[in-house]
Amino acid sequence: MASYKHTAALPDTVLRVKALESLLTEKGLIDPAALDELIDTYENRIGPRNGAQVVARAWADPEYKKRLLDDGTSAILELGFSGVQGEDMVIVENTPSVHNMIVCTLCSCYPWPVLGLPPVWFKSAPYRSRAVIDPRGVLKEFGVELDPDIEIRVWDSTAETRYMVLPLQPEGTDGMSEDELADIVQRDSMIGTAVVTAP
Amino acid sequence: MVLTKDMVAGLVSTGGSARVDADVAPIFKAGDRVTGRNINPVGHTRLPRYVRGHTGVVDRDHGVFSFPDGSSVGQDKPQHLYSVVFEAEELWGPDAADNFKVYVDMWDDYLEPAP
Amino acid sequence: MNGVHDMGGMQGMGAIDIEPNEPSFHDDWEQRMFGLFLSMFAGGHYNIDEFRHGIERMGGPNYMATTYYEHWVSGMQTMLIEKGILTAEEINGRMSELAGGNS
Repeated sequence: MASYKHTAALPDTVLRVKALESLLTEKGLIDPAALDELIDTYENRIGPRNGAQVVARAWADPEYKKRLLDDGTSAILELGFSGVQGEDMVIVENTPSVHNMIVCTLCSCYPWPVLGLPPVWFKSAPYRSRAVIDPRGVLKEFGVELDPDIEIRVWDSTAETRYMVLPLQPEGTDGMSEDELADIVQRDSMIGTAVVTAP
Repeated sequence: MVLTKDMVAGLVSTGGSARVDADVAPIFKAGDRVTGRNINPVGHTRLPRYVRGHTGVVDRDHGVFSFPDGSSVGQDKPQHLYSVVFEAEELWGPDAADNFKVYVDMWDDYLEPAP
Repeated sequence: MNGVHDMGGMQGMGAIDIEPNEPSFHDDWEQRMFGLFLSMFAGGHYNIDEFRHGIERMGGPNYMATTYYEHWVSGMQTMLIEKGILTAEEINGRMSELAGGNS
């Protein structure tokens, strides 16, 4: 029954969504084929691999990294990613002394063009409530224990600005290609609930 | 307008920025000390309770954006949006000395100059 | 409004439930709901702030007891009724028809 994990829908919910779709289709306000296309887009074409490519490029190309930190939206567009829920992007950089973490305490704001749709835990009460009051405790639940000297910066997405973390490049990966680098960048490291480790 | 299948790719890659091309002067600038207003509107707001009455520092000015409290009732009031940084101790008290900060996006109408 | 959606700093919400290899959607109705939301948004029938406020008005206990996309269903229905696009009677009537006409 709780909203902190995925559970079965109320019996009425499935019927209600069907009713809404059929009524709106009859009134000519929606095209069910457009729904299919939207679903396919976010299920199969847009996901954290996009963000991983951005991170890999930033690690490999210092000039690109500069542009990315200066104007995230434009630099991400250079790789062909843009649009809904990423219209105004800000990239925050992890360093040896600073670790960034993204949350939306009020709802579920998340940078879709680079990370896809958010996981259930990101939209859930335990993460949304605690990220801003106990980020170290939250990170521990993800298996991340940071040195107490590392400053944590939590970014609460209360407006239409969308944040993504540029994780710290692990040591010993300088010689890897961009594709190889992208392979080691997992979604959670771009939310800030994980760190990237060398393969 | 009815969204059709062939319009989806364009919608997805373009979206709709909440940034507003309006000549509105900023009230604050990076480095200013600001306090979250203690307001409790019954309508929509994106001012979280945990920063109301607390003081932080403007980290950056994002530019002019649509204002949700107005936009949610069809009366937009575009204004500057800032990232404001709060120390953990300021938000959660001296026991929270755990070396972290919280950055919150806040519009002009959510802020007043810190005393 | 000072609703339960404004969660920053609350305690006692439990452990974070991390699902390995989580799919983009967990059920067909979630997919349809997602598509409905974006289609009607693109059609200009509501803005994001109106929609969010629609969700915030679903009531605290109800918000806490339902899943994420159920919040969207509630927000969507509120928008459609308030904008005069559908009536509650129409929606309930169609649900009865789809269920076999017995409710």
